[in-house]
Amino acid sequence: MLDTIWLVPALPFAGAAINLFAGRRLGRLAGWLGVLVVAASFGLSLWLFADLVALPGDERLAVQHVFDWIEVGSFSANVNLRVDPLSMTMLLVVTGIASLIHVYSIGYMEADPRFGRFFAYMNLFVGFMVILVLADNFLLLYVGWEGVGLCSYLLIGFWHERVRAANAAKKAFITTRIGDTLMLIGIVLIFLRLGSLDFGKVLTGSITQTQPSGVFTVISLLLLCGAIGKSAQIPLHVWLPDAMEGPTPVSALIHAATMVTAGVYLVARTHVFFGASGVALTVVLIVGLVTALYAATAALGQDDIKRVLAYSTISQLGFMFFALGLRHYGAAIFLLVTHAFYKALMFLGAGSVMHGLHGESDMRKMGGLRKWMPITSATFVIGVLSISGVPPFSGFFSKDQILNAANHTEHTIAWLVSLVAAFVSALYIARLVFMTFFGESRVEREPHESPPVMTVPLILLAVGATVAGLLSVDAVTGRLPTFLQPVFGEVAEPVHGLPEAVLTTISVGVALAGILVGWFVWGSGRVDWMALATRFGELKRFLASGWYVDASYARTLVPAGRLVAGFLSSGIDRRVIDGSVNAIGALVQRLAAVGRRVQTGLVRNYALGLLIGAVVLFAYVGARL
Amino acid sequence: MNVPVAHFLVVAVMLFAIGSVGVLVRRNALVIFMSIELQLNAVNLALVAFSRMHGRLDGQVLAFFSMVVAAAEVVVGLAIIVVVYRRRRSADVDDVSLLRW
Amino acid sequence: MQADQLLFWVFAPISVGSGIAMLFQRNAVHAALFLIVNFFTLAVFYLLLSAPFLFVVQIIVYAGAIMVLFLFVIMLLGVDRDESLVERLRAQRPLAIALGLAMVVEMIVAIRAGIGFATKGPANFDEAANQGGNVEALSRVLFREYFFPFEVTSILLIIAAIAAMVLAQRRSAADAEDEEVVA
Repeated sequence: MLDTIWLVPALPFAGAAINLFAGRRLGRLAGWLGVLVVAASFGLSLWLFADLVALPGDERLAVQHVFDWIEVGSFSANVNLRVDPLSMTMLLVVTGIASLIHVYSIGYMEADPRFGRFFAYMNLFVGFMVILVLADNFLLLYVGWEGVGLCSYLLIGFWHERVRAANAAKKAFITTRIGDTLMLIGIVLIFLRLGSLDFGKVLTGSITQTQPSGVFTVISLLLLCGAIGKSAQIPLHVWLPDAMEGPTPVSALIHAATMVTAGVYLVARTHVFFGASGVALTVVLIVGLVTALYAATAALGQDDIKRVLAYSTISQLGFMFFALGLRHYGAAIFLLVTHAFYKALMFLGAGSVMHGLHGESDMRKMGGLRKWMPITSATFVIGVLSISGVPPFSGFFSKDQILNAANHTEHTIAWLVSLVAAFVSALYIARLVFMTFFGESRVEREPHESPPVMTVPLILLAVGATVAGLLSVDAVTGRLPTFLQPVFGEVAEPVHGLPEAVLTTISVGVALAGILVGWFVWGSGRVDWMALATRFGELKRFLASGWYVDASYARTLVPAGRLVAGFLSSGIDRRVIDGSVNAIGALVQRLAAVGRRVQTGLVRNYALGLLIGAVVLFAYVGARL
Repeated sequence: MNVPVAHFLVVAVMLFAIGSVGVLVRRNALVIFMSIELQLNAVNLALVAFSRMHGRLDGQVLAFFSMVVAAAEVVVGLAIIVVVYRRRRSADVDDVSLLRW
Repeated sequence: MQADQLLFWVFAPISVGSGIAMLFQRNAVHAALFLIVNFFTLAVFYLLLSAPFLFVVQIIVYAGAIMVLFLFVIMLLGVDRDESLVERLRAQRPLAIALGLAMVVEMIVAIRAGIGFATKGPANFDEAANQGGNVEALSRVLFREYFFPFEVTSILLIIAAIAAMVLAQRRSAADAEDEEVVA
């Protein structure tokens, strides 16, 4: 098993290289090649999984040293890939969902002239994401981190002729950069204070005794900044809604199922640091909870189907961070898994809708699509039920565990807020499904169902969204929590709070209430929601713009940033750096101008020089006699 | 012989110095050439003087060869001066300064 | 005072004087003439240094052939016009004179340190080195140790003669027109 771990990222990278250089010649084959390498990675991951579980519980760890990278003095960061329960879980999710989305993309992107390059970028992304989750040290993780950021930029701006897409790509990159830089400082601190960047050495249980807890607070908060950027939490969330300018498979893969979950993975991986610092965990909790509620309300005001899903992703990620803040790391990962299924499903469904409507994405121009697109509708409804938390779908189990954990840990206010967020979540997604698939049709052209290459992945994801709950039926004894025990430790039995049955009833009730209200307003036809939207126009605009956060950034941070950038580029870059280089050139020129006056062309001057030299030489030789 | 060798050498050195100064100071190409010949002769004198001092004939042979080569050199040099003069109508060495910066 | 001493002390000033005089002549022909005088004095020196063959060769080759060639060219080109005294390059003259003086002083110091002002050389030079007469002795050395350079210099002379012919030949009328443009 050990020797083959490196193939898991290597195969997608190879696919990317082939498609980059020979993509155009391959034509349609480029897509199947892209699918092949990712599916092969997934197959290999399954095999690694089988090998992993064959080992006894506390020995489930394998690290492959692929090659030496940096060995300088006491600092060493090599390309080591780590397979343990956490990275295995992430790996299966990434490669599995990626395979399905690659298949879907063959249908979705078939008319695009840059077909081959799309798959090259997608493969490149998968390669980097695998590096990220399999990295055994912080530097390699950072390489993967930056790599997926790069691919995100490339893929959001895939249709770079569109100004909005190009701007969105830039915005994504710059916003995450802020988080990434702080994260890098955190990584440097880790090395300075803890002496190594290897997970094996640094993420042990005993590490917390070696330094005062303040150190871990700082490190955790810095790493958290990176996670906030990558996972689009407040205040660095603004890039994700705009990232919907990219092709829908990109939104599904990167901005729903995998890249944005990297932040959650990071916090889960470094939970030792966070656990050592109460402050950091509280911050995580608050950030997650506030983001969950905020994004849910913002999703309520969106008219673009993809933007609803984008805000939904932000909100669900908020729930994951909330779970992390409650020290229920396993629950957060479980939500990550189920969310990957149903969010990818809904994104691909939205893509199918847009494909069928020839590019239309405004929900006000949809409606009643059920009769033309049965498969899409049915699978989408499964996704809706899952995200709302209706049993027996997977989302119910994952959300339920988190809400219950809030109650068990005596964070009562947090629990109540999370219930409100859950209600709004059900509400906005009900609004989406009723506006799009039910009711009277407002479409301008008659749509068509998507081809099997697109609908089969939808069905497979729907199956996943349905049965994934089996992974963790119970928060303490479920398969996933016990599998993740070597990394997170045992999950404590709930002691405080209300009994399980009560809590479950409350959360299901909240979900059904949300769906009911949604049906009543948007699905039953009894309420003229279009007039409602106009009457509450101000509120709707407030919500739709994300509580005007973007606008406030544009008025404050962006001009400030432009000022600094202008200073750095014209002030420092042009005047100091270019100036010094040019000065050297000018100096050489001036020296040459002086020096060349020796070349008078007159033989007598040269003879004079000769003679001077000769005389000096005679003197020297004579002095030595 | 009653004259110390050093005396001859001093004469040779003086002639050589005079020749060098002549190369630097005069502008007529032919006079410069003559100064060079003076330098060559000074060297010949030194060679013969040393030959006398060491009691061997090698210095004289060398001086002999030097004369032969000087003759050949004069032939070629004067031919060049003739060609240059034909082009420029002037034997002033300061006029051939095209190779300046 | 011995004969050679007398000869030396008479001809040495003449030698140096004629050299300096050559420098000061504005007319090229006058300079050539002074140079001839210098060559004659050098010939005498060779004689004093027991090199009678070179004494003769100096007069015949240097004074008689090379300087005559010089005078031919001077007359041919008509460059006997007097050279102007104005020196356009500043510091050339003072520097040249200073360097010349420096060189002389350095060399005298070197000679003094090297061989001293007293050595005279072996008294039996004529018996030991010039056996059978200077010419025969020279030929012995020349055609044995220095045979190869001897042959090479003969080739050199041929090349020089050909070079002179090639360099100085007059072109045809057409080429001459092209040449005129440059001047």
